[in-house]
Formats: sequence, C-alpha cells, structure tokens
Amino acid sequence: MAILSASTSLTRYHIVEDVPQELWAEVNDRLRKFAFRDIDDTADERSFGWVCFDNMLDAKWTTAPPEKGVYLTFSLRLDTRRISAAVLKKHVQLAMDHQLRLMQDQGQKFLTRDQKTEIKEQVKLRIRARTLPVPAYFNVIWDTDKNIIYLGSTTDKILELFNELFTKTFGLNLEPQTPFFSALNLLGEDRLQDLETLEPTIFV
Amino acid sequence: MDLERATTQATLIGQDFLTWLWATSEQHRGRFTTASGEDFSLFVEQRVSVQGGEGEGKETAVCSGPMAELKEARMGLRTGKKVGQAKLRIEHDENAWQVQINADTFALSGLKTPKVDTHVEEGDDPDAIFLEKIFLIEKCMLYLDTVFSIFIKLRMSSQWNSEIERIRQWMNAA
Repeated sequence: MAILSASTSLTRYHIVEDVPQELWAEVNDRLRKFAFRDIDDTADERSFGWVCFDNMLDAKWTTAPPEKGVYLTFSLRLDTRRISAAVLKKHVQLAMDHQLRLMQDQGQKFLTRDQKTEIKEQVKLRIRARTLPVPAYFNVIWDTDKNIIYLGSTTDKILELFNELFTKTFGLNLEPQTPFFSALNLLGEDRLQDLETLEPTIFV
Repeated sequence: MDLERATTQATLIGQDFLTWLWATSEQHRGRFTTASGEDFSLFVEQRVSVQGGEGEGKETAVCSGPMAELKEARMGLRTGKKVGQAKLRIEHDENAWQVQINADTFALSGLKTPKVDTHVEEGDDPDAIFLEKIFLIEKCMLYLDTVFSIFIKLRMSSQWNSEIERIRQWMNAA
C-alpha cells in the first residue's frame, strides 16, 4: 500500500544492530542485487523484490534514486499468480477424462495416484502460463537518522516476507515495534525481566 | 529473549495501554504534552473493540458509529474486558490525524494525516510532497510515543495502583 495515499496502514520496525558506516555506500547495489524480477513471460507462481519508491515498474531506479532527505525509500513488490480453485478443478477433470480415454484404448481402467498427481501439476503449470500475475507493492521508508523503518502493510504474510528480504539484503535484523519492544526500548534492557513477568492488570 | 513470551506480553501491555488511554484521554479532556513541551489532544472515538477471555472462550465486542458513545464497549470494560483496538483522533493546532491502533502489535491502519498539497509546480523540489507526508506521519508517531511513554512509566511504577483506582472510578461512572 502506498504510504502517500490518503489512508494508509503502517508497521514500524527498529534496526537491532548499529548500521555499519560502509553500508550506506552499498545501498544502491544491494537493492539492485535483490531487485524485483518480472514473471509476466514465465509460468512462475510468484516473484518478489525491491523496486523504486516512485514507480513500481522500475527495478533499476531510473525514475528516482532511493535517497530522499535523510530517508531511504523503496518498495517491496510482490507479484502472484492466483488460480481459481473452480478453474483448476474443471481443467484437472478434463485432463483426467482425456487421459483415461487414451488408456482405456490400451486396456487400462484406472489412473494411478502418481498419474493423477502428475496430471494436476501439468494442468496447474498450463493454467499458470496463461494467467497474468497480480502485482502488489508496499512502500518502505528508512529513517536513517533514527534507524526506524516504516512498512506500508500490516498483513502477517507481507511482514514476514519483508523481514526476511530486508535481512538478506542488508545483513541487518529488524525488531517490530510491538508494545513489548516499544516498552523495552523506552525502559532499557535492565527492565527486560520485569516486562517478561508483568501480570495483566485487573481493572474491575 | 523468549520471543513467544514477548508476543504474549505485547498483548498484555497493549491492552492495558489502550484501556488506560481511553480512560485518561476522557478524564484529561484529551490533553497531553510531549517531552519537548508541545501540547496536543488525543481522543478515543468512533470505534473501539473490547476483548476478554482466552482461546475458544475469547469474546470481542465492537462498537462503532460517527458520534457513538461506545456504551456497549464501556459496559464490556465493567465485565473485565480490555480494549483490543481503538480509533484515535489526534489534534495539534489546526491539524488532525486519525488512526486505528491494534493492542497486540501496535499495527496502525487507516492512518489519515492532515491533507498534503499534491500540486507541483515547475522548480519545486520533487521530494517535497513525500517529505511533508513523512513529517506528518512522524508527528503522529511522536504523539503516540508520548502517550505510550507516559503509560509505561506509570505501569512499571508504584503509582500504578492509584491509576487502577482512577480507571475503575471512570469505568463505573461512564
């Protein structure tokens, strides 16, 4: 989701480690190394990677560089080919009927479990090749002064994907700013045990 | 650190925080001040969900409406439920923000900042719109962090018992 739109969803992260100084000069190369790769002309089920903040079609940052003031900006793009269960069911049935007819001519009456699995996989691949992937992108804003990251999503699946790719790209670990970690950051590590053993308040 | 424990405790802290925030913002007429002395107001309005129980016995009551008094949610608090999600309105001078916050994770949804002028003229900084928007988002974060900081310091201090008493009185009077 675009952070610049009128209504947005946000998840905040804090970078666990100190960011090594030499990393700033490598940001562009690292983003390009894990840039999004288009799957329109393949049958791949999904593809994800970084793209330009200002243009989700730009995985080479020709539209604008990631730097905006003290912020580093880019987006996580995720393209997914979704096949309707009803479409898959229909075409698997058609393929199995066709295969059975061919085999009956040779005296065989049933499809084995392996044959059914193979047919299903082939049908999936065939439909995927004819289905256009659905594109989605999620803005990422890195405040390099505070080392806080904003991600324009609150969906668990996207958060997980982002977390993994960010760590792979930059070699840095992210801590989601949940109530627990926000409290720990404010109070300091020496209150960790107090926070871990805190009992719920009974207000009534 | 035990990450599973951190998740459980996050819910506990988040629910205590939002319950405290609802009571405190009403009792203080929404007035809060940042550490640098900037006054702002913060209200819980339009939508609140309260939760109680665990596992399959977990119950959630959601109240919403543009001018709702959120009576059912207030009643829920009196039966031991706590705020699981709330819609907040933050105001500073002429500016207003709206955001829905989730107690478990602090996930923010429906975040609306004051309107940003998207009209660009020749010679304008191409990043001006972005920089204004992120400035407004970070302002909202500052206000949220301010109220959370006030809460967590009280929550971890001996003053928490008197806070409980104050919230209890608000619950019964509301």
